[in-house]
Amino acid sequence: MADLKARPRLLASLLRLFTVQASWNYERLIGVGTGVAAEPLLRDLDPERYRAALGRASRYFNAHPYLSGAGAGALARAEIDGVPAEQIERLRGALAGPLGSIGDRLVWAGWLPTLSALTLAAVTWRGGFAAVALFLIVYNVGHVALRWWALRAGWTYGPRVAQALHEPWMRRAGQYLGPATALALGFALPMVAQWSGDAFRGWARITLAVAAAVAFGLLRWRPDILSGLRLGLVLVVIALVAGVIWR
Amino acid sequence: MIPHGWELLALGAIVGLDLVSFPQIMLARPIVAGSVAGLLLGDVGAGLRIGVLFELFQYDILPVGATRYPEYGPATVIAVGAVHTFALPFGIGLATVVGLFTAMIGGMSLQVLRRLNTRAVTAAAPALERGDVRVLYRLHFAGAGRDLARAALVTAFGLGLVALTRAFVVPALSHRGERLLSVAATGAALAAGAAGTIRLVGLGTHLKWLAAGLVGGIVVAWLI
Repeated sequence: MADLKARPRLLASLLRLFTVQASWNYERLIGVGTGVAAEPLLRDLDPERYRAALGRASRYFNAHPYLSGAGAGALARAEIDGVPAEQIERLRGALAGPLGSIGDRLVWAGWLPTLSALTLAAVTWRGGFAAVALFLIVYNVGHVALRWWALRAGWTYGPRVAQALHEPWMRRAGQYLGPATALALGFALPMVAQWSGDAFRGWARITLAVAAAVAFGLLRWRPDILSGLRLGLVLVVIALVAGVIWR
Repeated sequence: MIPHGWELLALGAIVGLDLVSFPQIMLARPIVAGSVAGLLLGDVGAGLRIGVLFELFQYDILPVGATRYPEYGPATVIAVGAVHTFALPFGIGLATVVGLFTAMIGGMSLQVLRRLNTRAVTAAAPALERGDVRVLYRLHFAGAGRDLARAALVTAFGLGLVALTRAFVVPALSHRGERLLSVAATGAALAAGAAGTIRLVGLGTHLKWLAAGLVGGIVVAWLI
């Protein structure tokens, strides 16, 4: 019965989690967004406890956006269960690090680059727009599932949410995503290089190979001062000036 | 006037909003933003080509926490609009110049947005501590509104840059120059993609998987 009552509120919370970084700021990071997402789950509290809980829920918090639901859910559950305020503050502090690093590893350094690389390979292999559409669908199936799982885990486990982060599927995902990402990126790069080079002939093709190799060397040599954007800007501006002069 | 300027402005704003604020479904990813812009302009091929190029630049960054990074989503939309507007045989190079400048401005605008959000949150701190739900909502959704306006401004800046480039640079650029520019843009993108890949994969246990992928990719690229 309690679960039936909680479900619409969990869905409301899930929808709000899609905006969790909308008010990202240097003072509370995603704290305000976490408060907004946790709010529907706090509505069963009496007005005084509700306001106190909401005040706490919107304090400093940080997590990967897709896993922030685990924080919102766990903090809300702790408030509902009457966990003392000091303990809730400790929970908030303890969750921020793991929810950030696990999410970064699983999503930004795993799921996303793997699918992106496979999409690039597919595009160069006459995949066209269909490959991009497939990327959006597959990526977001994983994305929404992860958000929903995180929120459910937070709400179910409450202050013991760290247990959920040790579930076997998560360990396995971490184990397999690293090699899969490396494999996919390695596979995509030569295909993209060939596809990009196909547009050029003669001197242009040789210049492209030399420019790419030198630029790569520079990026590896001085990553502290050179980024892809900076180097790209320098190269294209030099080429632009040369292009205006060289008639 | 840039062809389909209003549509590109709307797309750039949506793509910019997707990056951080809502809903983070990867519309902001260059390969997606580029191909959608191409679809909008009736030139999916150009959209995909620019999308792939900027996706390689995107590999150079890992959006972790408060890190500063260029914003390639609206920049890709602008670059696709530029290719379409310039209508040059090797317009991809000049379009990349415009796109990279837009990406740089986009990245700077994100810092301004974060500072504005911080100021708003600091001013509302007492009400937030009291648990005032209306202040909480207002603060949060005003942040999203600011981000939407920011993304629209960045895209408008890019469109202005396209118009200026068409008026002053396109007539001055030789055909050789056009090609040279395309070579530089493509070379920089490939280098950024490769350097980003090495940084992400690292030189540890996953390097052998990268090597295996490279061998497979070279074989397939050679066969097709």
